[in-house]
Amino acid sequence: MSAIASRRALPRIDRGVWLPLLAVVTALAIGALLVAATGVALPDAAAAFADGAWGSGYAIGASINRALAIGLVGLGFIVAQRANLTNVGGEGQIALGGIAATAMSLYGGASHLAGPLAFVMPMLAATLAGAAWGAIAGAMKVRFGTNEVISTLLLSFIGIWVLYGCVQSEALLRQPMTTSATLPESLEIPEATHLPRLWGEADVPLHVGLPLALLLCAVVAVVINRTVFGTMLRAVGANPDAARRAGMPIGGCIVLAMAIAGAFGGLAGALMLQGEQWTLKARFSSGYGFDGLVVGLLARGSVKGVIASALLFGFLRSGGINMELVANVPSAIVVVIQGLIIVTLAAAALWIERGAVR
Amino acid sequence: MSIEAVAPGTGSHARPVAAPPAGGDGTGALLSLRGLRKRFGALVALDDVSLDIARSEIHCLLGENGAGKSTLCNLIFGVHAPDAGEMVLDGRPHRPGGPRDALAQGIAMVHQHFSLVSDLTVVDNLLLGQARGVLDRAACAQRVAALADEYGLAIAPRARIADLSVGERQRVEIIKCLMRSPRLLVLDEPTAVLLPDEIRALLAVCERVAAGGCSVVLVTHKLAEVERAAHRATVLRLGRVVARSDAPARDMRALVRAMIQRDLSGLGAMAGAALGTDAVATAAAADAGAAARTITRRPSAAVVLDVEDLVMHDAGGVVALDHVGLAVHEGEILGIAGVEGNGQSELAAVLSGMTVAASGRYRVGAHDLFGRPPKAVTRAGVGVVPEDRHRVGCVPTMPLAENLFLDRLHEFRRFGLLDRRALLAKAAASMREFDVRASGADQPFERLSGGNQQKAVLARELTVPGLRLLIAAQPTRGLDVGAVEAVYGYIRRACERGLAVLLISSELDELLAMCHRIAVMYRGRIMGECDARPDERARIGAWMAGHAA
Amino acid sequence: MDTHALELLAVFVGSTLRLATPMLFAASGELVSERAGVLNLSVEGMMLLGAFAGAMGSLYSGSPLVGVLAAVLAVIPLALLQAFLSNTLRANQIVSGIGLNLVVLGATTVLYRQWLGSRSRVQIPGIDRWAPPGLSDIPVFGAVFVQSALLYVGLAVLVIAAWVLRATAVGLAVHAAGAEPRALDQSGGSVQRVRYGAVLFCGVMSALGGAFISLGDIHTFTENMTAGTGYLALVAVIFGNWRMGRTVFACLFFGAATALQFQLPAMGLNVPNALLIMLPYLMALLAVGGVMGRQTPPAYLTLAYRR
Repeated sequence: MSAIASRRALPRIDRGVWLPLLAVVTALAIGALLVAATGVALPDAAAAFADGAWGSGYAIGASINRALAIGLVGLGFIVAQRANLTNVGGEGQIALGGIAATAMSLYGGASHLAGPLAFVMPMLAATLAGAAWGAIAGAMKVRFGTNEVISTLLLSFIGIWVLYGCVQSEALLRQPMTTSATLPESLEIPEATHLPRLWGEADVPLHVGLPLALLLCAVVAVVINRTVFGTMLRAVGANPDAARRAGMPIGGCIVLAMAIAGAFGGLAGALMLQGEQWTLKARFSSGYGFDGLVVGLLARGSVKGVIASALLFGFLRSGGINMELVANVPSAIVVVIQGLIIVTLAAAALWIERGAVR
Repeated sequence: MSIEAVAPGTGSHARPVAAPPAGGDGTGALLSLRGLRKRFGALVALDDVSLDIARSEIHCLLGENGAGKSTLCNLIFGVHAPDAGEMVLDGRPHRPGGPRDALAQGIAMVHQHFSLVSDLTVVDNLLLGQARGVLDRAACAQRVAALADEYGLAIAPRARIADLSVGERQRVEIIKCLMRSPRLLVLDEPTAVLLPDEIRALLAVCERVAAGGCSVVLVTHKLAEVERAAHRATVLRLGRVVARSDAPARDMRALVRAMIQRDLSGLGAMAGAALGTDAVATAAAADAGAAARTITRRPSAAVVLDVEDLVMHDAGGVVALDHVGLAVHEGEILGIAGVEGNGQSELAAVLSGMTVAASGRYRVGAHDLFGRPPKAVTRAGVGVVPEDRHRVGCVPTMPLAENLFLDRLHEFRRFGLLDRRALLAKAAASMREFDVRASGADQPFERLSGGNQQKAVLARELTVPGLRLLIAAQPTRGLDVGAVEAVYGYIRRACERGLAVLLISSELDELLAMCHRIAVMYRGRIMGECDARPDERARIGAWMAGHAA
Repeated sequence: MDTHALELLAVFVGSTLRLATPMLFAASGELVSERAGVLNLSVEGMMLLGAFAGAMGSLYSGSPLVGVLAAVLAVIPLALLQAFLSNTLRANQIVSGIGLNLVVLGATTVLYRQWLGSRSRVQIPGIDRWAPPGLSDIPVFGAVFVQSALLYVGLAVLVIAAWVLRATAVGLAVHAAGAEPRALDQSGGSVQRVRYGAVLFCGVMSALGGAFISLGDIHTFTENMTAGTGYLALVAVIFGNWRMGRTVFACLFFGAATALQFQLPAMGLNVPNALLIMLPYLMALLAVGGVMGRQTPPAYLTLAYRR
């Protein structure tokens, strides 16, 4: 379309923007229908949802915290996606991150470190653990040509069960069993390793993870769009043979990209543990990894997309939980909504690509 | 009926040639095409094409790459549907919804890129799409043997496709067509991958088939085949019919003029070689080639590329490079001749550092490059124009500017970021120098025409710092005559400045026109080396077929 | 070997078969689909839907056979949707599969709570076991062969499917659709039809596998009953290198690993549960890492076809 024509016509909004929006709205509408089908009055359900999502300072804080974890996984996803690598292993990477952060906090001496180091060290440990988990898949791809979707999926399951094993066994992370009813979870991590709140005593649970995540968003945006490394990732993803001929270290790029994706997952686990949960439980990752995957897919490579989608899913989750507690609506409806969004976007992907203005 | 050709130079503005009155008004013809139009997005592939295929004839469809020949075949075979126009097969309207309909109507086609399942046997491939219910492999094998006898197409029924040579695979494709007892056989560029002997055998099969009542549409851009086998010929150019002939051997010069809108003798043997004409090119080559070569500096004695005893095995353990040895001197162009698939791709891959040979010596100047990665090869001053630019030469989805400096991106690093302005500026300069036409250096590489893409790859490789050796594999394949001439020009000029060139090509005429010396590869071995003179043609041909001369 | 050990072994083998059955169904279906070039991550959802529909059908009609029928009927729209997404809309097969799994998971949970209330453990009429004459009379080991009738049906289907792939025109077309769809198209075959059919077959088999869990094994339905069995079936196909024989072996192996979770404690051995649960995934990871020989997936797996 020529420049002249576009000036005269109405501003055409990119298909890549309004179609995801439409998908979300439609899915929400269907969700509302399902709610009605359960017999619960729609206004009651909506009120409970809104209350849980943004009804109070606490709720907003909690929603944003959820969005942080989900968004970090999404950021990692789009970095790897730049090199045409699909990281499906968010759940496992979060789990490994949680394990490393717990171990470092409880038994690694982090709590004795001065000031910020007390909570930074476990975060670092978690990031490295996640990076290692991601790097395994990257190395397998380079060495054996293994499809990273399969390897990260398998590693994810393994990671989840490693976590399960860790909190089941006293020799590992389980709290000492004083009675037969002692739950399989770790001890609570020391106060020094908790992430400091942004607003001190106020009842808003936002912590330093928020500015950190925003900083990382900016860094990722610059790296994938404006650096030589980002261009290399793009070349490696689009045409590894040409990249190799041009002298690019494609093996290193692939492993590094997957390691970065895993690192973000590990960090998400640390934020979840040190920001809110304080103890490592068996169902620690509880679907955040999958949510992060969906966010990564929705974002179609843009950091702004990750932020928007992560916030959406964070608020959705909080609202869903409260809806179940208060209005007795199964939170599984939120799962249905998520699935519908994914399916709709997958179905329209070709159409979006053809019409999207880049 | 005499040839109707368009006046030279009028190109795409020519009036379309009137449809031929074969048998008066098209009756009696097996297949009639009238006013066919087809576009793909913005590209008009066919524009008002009309022609007739008579019964029992061999009809050659001529044209350069991009003329629309394959598209026309795909319309006949039902792979695509025309946007306008109609087809009449034996008096009835022909509107196939897919290959299945065309096959049911008795039309069979062998595509340029074979459609065989490589991990299955010959018999299984033949049964595909034809059999019902439980497979009777024994019966099929018998039919294969019978057909093979009848047409002289020897093939082992139980062999796996992956183990067959290119020529043998084509025989399988042809037998697959013949098994359906077609009344129209369409062959799309069948001879591009065959040895001279195999080409003769194929044309003999075509004659037998035609004599048996089945018409043959033979698509080619090689005039030598037209001369030998065609009963009639139609020339396409840029999607339009520009000439017809019912005695192609007689109208050869006029056909060529119609194909490329220029006179053959005037454009030099180099470009004429792109048309694969035997007699026509040889004469021109003799004077043009000799004249051209005296322009270049005499090759000095300094050896730039030194390869000896290179051995490599492919994934299946078969020998791909069999003790290959070559030497190229400063200012010299050494050609590697041979039908594709005899180790040339593997040689280029090893020399560019993409694969590692098992043993041998590979030196460029003072650098030992055996087993070294592509980066080291480039740093030693070696530029490579790959035979498949889309696979190894470029990243099609990335902009032209990035592609022009794909191996030198770190030169544009500023404060850790990529300085795109500087990149675009340098790209524009490169585009001017090498006449790469695009709507800006930011345009995605894939949007450029084939000729401009190749010029861009050349632009990058010819500006490798410290360039001493250029390896060019099939550099003019798929390009129109203008681009071919440009590419040859750049290579010659670089050679005059002292560059050593290794030119790998399956077009012998191209090599004879461009090179000082020619080495021939057959099944991974260098069969022999000689001066690039037209009178060596017979010896080179013998080497290409595997005969030690 | 003394009788007690033999009895334990018999119990182990019997459990292995029982636990492997749902995977056998799903994996054989997914194998056909992947050979034709379509990857169905939604196997998990199809199994869950089959388990749910089968349970509901059996509960409301009183007949487990109606339940099985309900399972098959319920999965057909889902399989058609997956086929439509993968083949016609050319959607990303991994993404669409995950999405459908979530939809099924959420929907079955909501519907289950709606119709039966949460936490109910309703007993559902299940499929009877069948004791094959002769085999079940073997002392001690005879008990191994007393399995749900559905297992024997599944084994029969499996054998027939393997034969069809090897010796019929349909099987040849399936192979070509995944290895070189152009060849099939230009020989007059229909790639779309083959792929749609393959996905439908996968759906039906997965549903039967799911129905087995709720009707043949446990005789009830719980939320997210399949709990990853569908993914295990996918893993089995990978581990089996897209060959029926090896895939069956993989399913049995995974079934054995699950059986050990119960067997080992009974024998007094204290292996951490997590390790046993993890074992199938670990084995599959080694397989895709090339430890068990070269992997040869169909060349056009996950790639939609267009002329």
